[in-house]
Amino acid sequence: MRIYEELFIVKPDATEEEIDQLIEQMKSVVTTAGGTVDKVDKWGKRRLAYRVDKYREGAYILFQFTSAPETVKEFERRLRVSDMVIKFLTVRIDETLKRLEKRKKDRDKRAHRKATAAPAPAQPSVAQQMLGEPAPAAE
Amino acid sequence: MAESRGRPGSAGQRPTGGDKAVATQKKQYFRRKKVCRFCVERIDDINYKDVRLLSSFIAERGKIVPRRISGVCAPHQRRLNDAIKKARNIALLPFAASI
Repeated sequence: MRIYEELFIVKPDATEEEIDQLIEQMKSVVTTAGGTVDKVDKWGKRRLAYRVDKYREGAYILFQFTSAPETVKEFERRLRVSDMVIKFLTVRIDETLKRLEKRKKDRDKRAHRKATAAPAPAQPSVAQQMLGEPAPAAE
Repeated sequence: MAESRGRPGSAGQRPTGGDKAVATQKKQYFRRKKVCRFCVERIDDINYKDVRLLSSFIAERGKIVPRRISGVCAPHQRRLNDAIKKARNIALLPFAASI
């Protein structure tokens, strides 16, 4: 199972109901293949940076789902077939998320160590007088 | 214009090139130290959806600003490149902007 992010652009003249219908359809594509949809985000209409199929703006929709790699193939095929979708982009994000989490953990650990190491010589006298126990390590 | 300011030596040979050289006639070799914005602000995630961040690293014409000008460090520039190219693909950023 991998985590994917799918950003696609729907024609600006599509109605709200049509878009909702499309979203439901794409959700079912993922769930029937044994994956889970984690997040669906409608960005609304945005100006495109360049013209795509004669359209200057489009409605962006962001999907985040967990599934097997084969599901993405089917998902992309559906998007290609659908005449409402003018552009799409699939990004695999599980490794990026893992990397970011590790970065954050390392950073927190370093900050924690710094916090415990630095005030140690100065703090105990005050803290012991006040509470009778060592200064709190965190923060 | 911007290139001549960033490259060493060129400012000395052509004093009229950059605005810095005009401002300080004698200290022509003075250049501010550039720092990587992502390192300083601790931005771990260079995401292709963050158009506002990315657009500060593309030039007027839509080109990616080289790191000798922007001062971004190599690892971050690599991720920035990836992000900008993804954003271009989905029409968040232009391939070539018209002026």
